[in-house]
Amino acid sequence: MTGMTFQEIDARVLKTLEPPSKRYWIAVTLLFSGVLVGAGSWAYQIYKGVGVAGMNNPVAWGTYLINFVFWVGIAHSGTLISAILHLLRASWRNPIARAAETMTVFAVCIAGLFPFIHLGRVWMVFYMLPVPNQRNLWQNFQSPLMFDVVAISTYLTVSILFWYTGMLPDLAVVRDRSEGLRKKIFTLISLGWTGTHEQWRHYTRAYLFFAALATPLVISVHSVVSWDFALGIVPGWHTTIFAPYFVAGAIHSGLAMVITLMIPVRRIFGYEKLITPGVLENVAKTIILTGLIVGFAYATEFFMAWYSQNPVEMEVFRFRAAGHYAPGFWIMVFCNAILPLFLFLKSVRRSIPILFAVSILINIGMWFERFIIIVTSVGRDFIPYSWGLYSPTLVEFGIMLGSFSLFFFLFILFVKHLPSVSMTEMKEISGHGAGHGS
Amino acid sequence: MGLLAALGGGAFFYLLSGSHPERAWQAYLINFLIFSSIAQGCVLFSAVMHVTKARWSQSLTGLAESFSAFFPVSFVLFLILFLGEAHIFPWKGIDLGEKEAWLNVRGVLIRGSMGLGILYFLGFSYLYFSLSLKFLRNPHPVGLRKFLDRRWMKDRMDTEACRKRTGISAVLYILGYAVVLSLIAYDLVMALDPHWYSTLFGAYHFIKAFYLALGALVIFASVLHINPNLPFAVNPSQFHDLGKLFFAFCLLWADFFYCQFVVIWYGNIPEESSYVIERTMMDPWQPLAWFIFIVSFALPFLILLNRRIKKNPKWMSLICAMVILGLWLEHLLLVGPAISRHARALPLGFSDGLVFLGFLGVMGISISTYIRIFPEIVMNPGRGR
Amino acid sequence: MEPAMGPEKSILGFFPSEDRAAHAILALRGTSWSVKKVLSPVPGPKIFDALNLRKSRIGYFTLAGGVIGFFTGFALAAFTALQWELIVGGKPVVSLVPFFIVGFEFTILFAVFGNVAGLIHQMKLPDYKGLVELDPYRDVNRFGILSSCPLEEEGSLIAFFKEHGAEETIIV
Repeated sequence: MTGMTFQEIDARVLKTLEPPSKRYWIAVTLLFSGVLVGAGSWAYQIYKGVGVAGMNNPVAWGTYLINFVFWVGIAHSGTLISAILHLLRASWRNPIARAAETMTVFAVCIAGLFPFIHLGRVWMVFYMLPVPNQRNLWQNFQSPLMFDVVAISTYLTVSILFWYTGMLPDLAVVRDRSEGLRKKIFTLISLGWTGTHEQWRHYTRAYLFFAALATPLVISVHSVVSWDFALGIVPGWHTTIFAPYFVAGAIHSGLAMVITLMIPVRRIFGYEKLITPGVLENVAKTIILTGLIVGFAYATEFFMAWYSQNPVEMEVFRFRAAGHYAPGFWIMVFCNAILPLFLFLKSVRRSIPILFAVSILINIGMWFERFIIIVTSVGRDFIPYSWGLYSPTLVEFGIMLGSFSLFFFLFILFVKHLPSVSMTEMKEISGHGAGHGS
Repeated sequence: MGLLAALGGGAFFYLLSGSHPERAWQAYLINFLIFSSIAQGCVLFSAVMHVTKARWSQSLTGLAESFSAFFPVSFVLFLILFLGEAHIFPWKGIDLGEKEAWLNVRGVLIRGSMGLGILYFLGFSYLYFSLSLKFLRNPHPVGLRKFLDRRWMKDRMDTEACRKRTGISAVLYILGYAVVLSLIAYDLVMALDPHWYSTLFGAYHFIKAFYLALGALVIFASVLHINPNLPFAVNPSQFHDLGKLFFAFCLLWADFFYCQFVVIWYGNIPEESSYVIERTMMDPWQPLAWFIFIVSFALPFLILLNRRIKKNPKWMSLICAMVILGLWLEHLLLVGPAISRHARALPLGFSDGLVFLGFLGVMGISISTYIRIFPEIVMNPGRGR
Repeated sequence: MEPAMGPEKSILGFFPSEDRAAHAILALRGTSWSVKKVLSPVPGPKIFDALNLRKSRIGYFTLAGGVIGFFTGFALAAFTALQWELIVGGKPVVSLVPFFIVGFEFTILFAVFGNVAGLIHQMKLPDYKGLVELDPYRDVNRFGILSSCPLEEEGSLIAFFKEHGAEETIIV
């Protein structure tokens, strides 16, 4: 695929681990200050109480849930790329698999923070953990919120293990090509990997199983998240299409985030020959598919709202399209369903700046989608007397800024300390055939 | 084949003239849906394999495309369905209020025929381009093949443009598939209970259709592979991949079922749950529901975890046949309670089997006609990795 | 591994590509010399075929984990519900439909644990000793075949390697 020799691949990727430039430190400082803003806002909230956020009656779920769903969604496409595309033997995934999987791990970590933040009194989190206690208090596993706890912790654990296992051969390469403290650290974390046939034999089988196990997680975890909403009776939430709709939306936003990350990374680190425009084009084509599914879901929901002739349902959807939050709704429809259609044109797919802009717009659209789904349904449910509006407060914006900063902060730490392109997988496709073998 | 078709037709009229004419139309509807789904899904298989540039399935897509011969038959069968409108549309006499703008016989007819017409047109145009890339000139062309060969000779000059057009028509077919199959599901199956609705129903139907189609494709490929008279062969890795795809859709179908079930069960809203309660918790439907669950999900799931069995054509055909039986019964489960209201016992009998065989005969005739026009798909030994 | 028959020499031959290495392995298996280890930077399917390796048994660990997880998930959910037997939201105290989700997630979680346990057990990770043994000789980017022969046949083994495309041979 690339025609690069093994040495060239190693050299290119290992170069990214060299001591960074001044611009890097500036970026780190900026992002870290964003993280501090978030931490400060959270500390303030813990001190004052969750009332400093904008949630109230009737809209009791606000940006914390929106961000939760947003970050879990982003995580899913990383697993799609590294696990599902591995099973489908799509070798175009190899240049971006490592970064995508890393994106997953960080996104899940941040997503997991949000229910915690939403608690307000964070020390009460033990109520959600099935630990024997002298009051014999146990969780209600029938609740979708408990499904969430189980699903997200499973996803976090599996993603971290998958990520680490996938990196083992690469960590060994770094070990072999480094000196001093770095060599010591990488010797430790590469667990004595030497690349003998015995090791590869077990490794490829285990990797295949990892991929096969992570695949149902992609579908099930976001289905569980969607059921946080769908299992209630709130109009606009209680609908059967939510599970596949959320999964498709998650992959949609995640793929867009992959492009948002990969375009600067390939420019800054000189990965142009590894992450070719063809790879980005394939991601863009997949975005077309997910965009179509999301658009189809929008249309179906609207049709069914009318078909049902249920006045409450019809009102929620009328409110979404034409009510107080209509601008958000139309941003959502345009960015998620209409904009990706432009990717049908090859010239759009091949233009890196346009692709970058489209990916950012898609993520903005997906954020608004979660906003519209959550806020309009709860703010406009059965009894007109209890209808209400919602707007996020500064504290919430601070925490949101913190979460985005944390994600990019962790990611730029990653690209400087660990190999951000999988050298092993690139060597596999540099002229030898596809995939990790099974 | 012709005998089967005649047999089926006879059974249908027997049922029709009996004391429960709705049984006849019920059987007709179920079989119409099943066989149309198989045809639509098989062409989808070919379209998807083309769009994803898959290489493992090259010899199989030719087989899958042969099911398209059923398209015109399906269209005609859809129109004939309206002869039974008194039974097929139980909502006819009910006052539906605003919903009548959608649910009226003429509306269903126009939407359905337009939808199917457009879908089948898209399917055939995809095939026109896809086949032009596949076949060399037939040495003794007759009739339709002669016409097509001549057109293809002209277009063949520019293979790049042909490939591009195949790609575009494949995408259009896929879009049409999703929209039209959802429409058919809403109008013909979901509407049977006019006050019930489920947003996922359309998608559930088209996933189920693809699952059915994959099963039919496996059976067809296995039958041709095992036949010693034909040079057609499928190598074990292709069977393995097809088996894996079948397994994946087994899971996906069950997942879509569960998505609907869990939301309705948990919400426990009477408007929605009555549909599900009648079909999964009340007699005579409950045992049928469990049977379908075991035969179309639990057993295939457990059996297909094994790698070796996916490479064995005989066993795969058996499993796929079992699954198709289960899905046939699942269609009965969906439409039965609405068409055969207050049934004390399962409205299922010997004649239903005969009607199924009748439809099978008709499909068989369509496919053999196709193969006579394009003998290359069974004559060429299997390609692909 | 063959039983040691007198003093043996181990020769490590380096090959530039997977194809050459696979051919050499096939040729080597036809001789009396054993293939002790094959080092490669990528998992080479051709090399696996040439070595005619048994399939790894990690799958059994994974399956065991999955089955345990499935029942654990259900058991946990049912146990916690039965502690107080409260009817919540009108649902039965122990109901299959929601508990299936818990069971499913635990299946995947424990299957992954089984997978990791299998990996650690089968690969005997962490294998720092093996690393130290091979360290001076390994080459990150070339395919190495380690073979052993009796002392006298050292020259013929080296020649054999060179014949089959080895770029370099080292006496270990």
